[in-house]
Amino acid sequence: MVSTDAAAPTLTSAAPLGGAPILELRKLDKHFGGTHALKAVDLVFEEGEIHAIVGENGAGKSTLIKLLTGVFPRSAGEVLWRGAPVALATPHESINLGINAVHQEVVLCPHLTVAANIFLGDEEMRGGFLDKRRMARDAQKLLDELGFSLPADAILSSLTIGQQQLIATARAERRGAKFLIFDEPTSYLTRQEAAALFKLIRRLKTDGVTIVYISHRLEEVFELCDRVSVLRDGALVGTRKVSETNEADLIAMMINRRIEQIYHKETVPIGATILETEALSGLGFRDISVRVREGEIIGLYGLVGAGRSEFVQSVFGRHPATHGRVLWQGREVAIKNERQAMKLGIALSPESRRDQGLCLNLGVGLNINLAIFKKLSLGPLISLARESAAADNQIRDVQIKTSSRAAPVTSLSGGNQQKVVIGKWLNHGAKLFIFDEPTVGVDVGTKAEIYRLFASLLREGAGVIMISSYLPEVYELADTLHVFRAGMIVATHGHKDASHETILTEAIGA
Amino acid sequence: MLLGLILLLIMLAMWLVLSFETNTFWTANNMANLLRQGAMIAILAIGETFAIITGGIDLSVGAVAGFVSMAVAWLLESNLGLASTIAGAITISLAIGVLIGLFHAFGVVQMGLPPFIMTLATMYALRGIGLYITNGATISITNDAFTGFSRASFLGFPWTDGTWFQIPMLFWMVVVVAAPAYILLSHTRWGRYLFAIGSNKEAARLSGVNVNAVTYLAYVVSAVCAAFVGVLLAMRIGIGLATQADGWELQAIASSVIGGTSLFGAVGSVHGPLIGSFILTTINNGANLLNWNPFVQRIITGLLIIIVVYFDTLRTRKR
Repeated sequence: MVSTDAAAPTLTSAAPLGGAPILELRKLDKHFGGTHALKAVDLVFEEGEIHAIVGENGAGKSTLIKLLTGVFPRSAGEVLWRGAPVALATPHESINLGINAVHQEVVLCPHLTVAANIFLGDEEMRGGFLDKRRMARDAQKLLDELGFSLPADAILSSLTIGQQQLIATARAERRGAKFLIFDEPTSYLTRQEAAALFKLIRRLKTDGVTIVYISHRLEEVFELCDRVSVLRDGALVGTRKVSETNEADLIAMMINRRIEQIYHKETVPIGATILETEALSGLGFRDISVRVREGEIIGLYGLVGAGRSEFVQSVFGRHPATHGRVLWQGREVAIKNERQAMKLGIALSPESRRDQGLCLNLGVGLNINLAIFKKLSLGPLISLARESAAADNQIRDVQIKTSSRAAPVTSLSGGNQQKVVIGKWLNHGAKLFIFDEPTVGVDVGTKAEIYRLFASLLREGAGVIMISSYLPEVYELADTLHVFRAGMIVATHGHKDASHETILTEAIGA
Repeated sequence: MLLGLILLLIMLAMWLVLSFETNTFWTANNMANLLRQGAMIAILAIGETFAIITGGIDLSVGAVAGFVSMAVAWLLESNLGLASTIAGAITISLAIGVLIGLFHAFGVVQMGLPPFIMTLATMYALRGIGLYITNGATISITNDAFTGFSRASFLGFPWTDGTWFQIPMLFWMVVVVAAPAYILLSHTRWGRYLFAIGSNKEAARLSGVNVNAVTYLAYVVSAVCAAFVGVLLAMRIGIGLATQADGWELQAIASSVIGGTSLFGAVGSVHGPLIGSFILTTINNGANLLNWNPFVQRIITGLLIIIVVYFDTLRTRKR
């Protein structure tokens, strides 16, 4: 980020608890292509503590986990495990040391039994055969000890996500984990399930296991953790003892207060209403009333899973709404599928460019033109001249750095891939552009370019809906900002008429 | 394109070696025969490639060809007026192909069955239906105009030894299939959509591609090509029997894969399977002329598949 830091005086306070250091990070650094995901992080984890790591999306939390669990190699810096330098080059090495992670989405085998999953990769054998009876007995004993009332011979997929998460934790414990990372573990859990998980985590702590707890939910940090470290834009802002801080402090540390020059906002005259929803409800969202007019950006802010993507996908025809109305230029419409939405003049640039946005192993040109091949055709045949001209123009206009239009998208950096996703829609001549997390995982320079593209769309009389979990960008760019929480709009603000703290508090629900 | 060139060179190298090793290979007669032998697998492989590019597969093409050979023979030998004329019987046979393709796509799209399972099921069922209808009997085709077509040729040129090389009608049928297939795959938006679906269905859908319709297209093309091969097969052997073309689906898939089609989808061409099928035919033809044990042909084919796909994996891994 291009800003200096406001909270400088207390920046490096580590607030040690006095325990023995188990894992020590020294100037840990990670680059992904042009993105600086983690910036010289110094952090010491003490044996037997519960250490929370908080920060906005894109602050570097997941990068940190992936470096510690050996999924990615670090770019620079040192890691010490009980004082000795370690490489953490492979997941295997991390697991052997005793570093395990329990992910938000459970990575176990859904078709196997609970016992088989607990023993997966480390099965009990007798005479060269699986000792199923013993594994079932031991697994049941473990479950009983942990206080889970679950049968060990149940098929994993018959359990709730929360129960599966508990199984994943039990599995890590059985493997002798010394250092256990929880990545947003409660996102999909009910209250009771979360309570059971907390009980288990506290139990692990008394057994001497070090816990790293990553969460958006600050109240959980205060309920569970000993210390908390705040990441912002890939850098460590500071570490506090939980007993010596409060939510307001943490929120102030999490968000960058600097007004950044990268946010390019032009004021264009507001025109007629393009799209309006009236109390729209559907799977994952409820009572959403939103209006988009020509020349304005509507921001939808909230945490991941707050219902924003579900809402816009419903407008785009993905899942039908169950209640409420959608008005397109004043007329009520029922949008049943994506093609119908596109025909009306709606373009949606999806959240996950890998899963939804791009045909990764195909060429840049094909991806850019995918939505407009009809326009590039003369009768049944594609005009190859028009096709290449359209691709080349877009590559130039959106400034995609690629060796050629035929190069596969996989050969591009993340930022350039994102420009392909967005660039695809600019030729489409849509009236309403929906951008779902348009700047996830792209560097500052590319972000600025993407914001400039938005401005050019507005000048041409289009309207924009922008979903983002990165508060500064929606804050600076949106003319109207709706805050989502648990599928509902909990607050609506005009352009910059509330503080970051207020908005974040509304989104978190603290 | 580069792979296509390499494959072409491999085939020419094989021809060169066989020309030196035997004095029966490089003759107008044998080369015309080679084109005739390879024609049917080539057409199957082109159709098969459409299904594979979408990330699917069509295991039924051999069974469709066998079933249609029975159907066309039955039509020609019956007294059904227009339907028993050559044109009528061929039209109905191709229509059967369309129906089978629609059924495959219905299973894949509407019922959500994996393409492997859906086409495996019809592969078994079609052979069964064909045998059931004829009670396992072979239908001999008495229409000489029909069977004569497979021996006919059109145009020719002087061969290196002074004899006349006649281009077999069966090979012209490959051209008749390959040319529109090439245009469909490389010069229409439907072709682009086939690749897009094979690469990322969700991205294609969110870009406004009618994923279901394009999937239907792929399976109909595959089945119609197979039905066409069924007609040619009936012409060539003069009989209709549902158990014919046994194992041809694997030869078609092998040709396609040797021609650079990725079984993961989104990679493929028309010229690739075309050359791939004639490489396989050359192996068979050459092994015969060299008096090799016919079983060796299968071993060579197997090794070739491993080698070609291995090089392809290397190429994609580098990315």
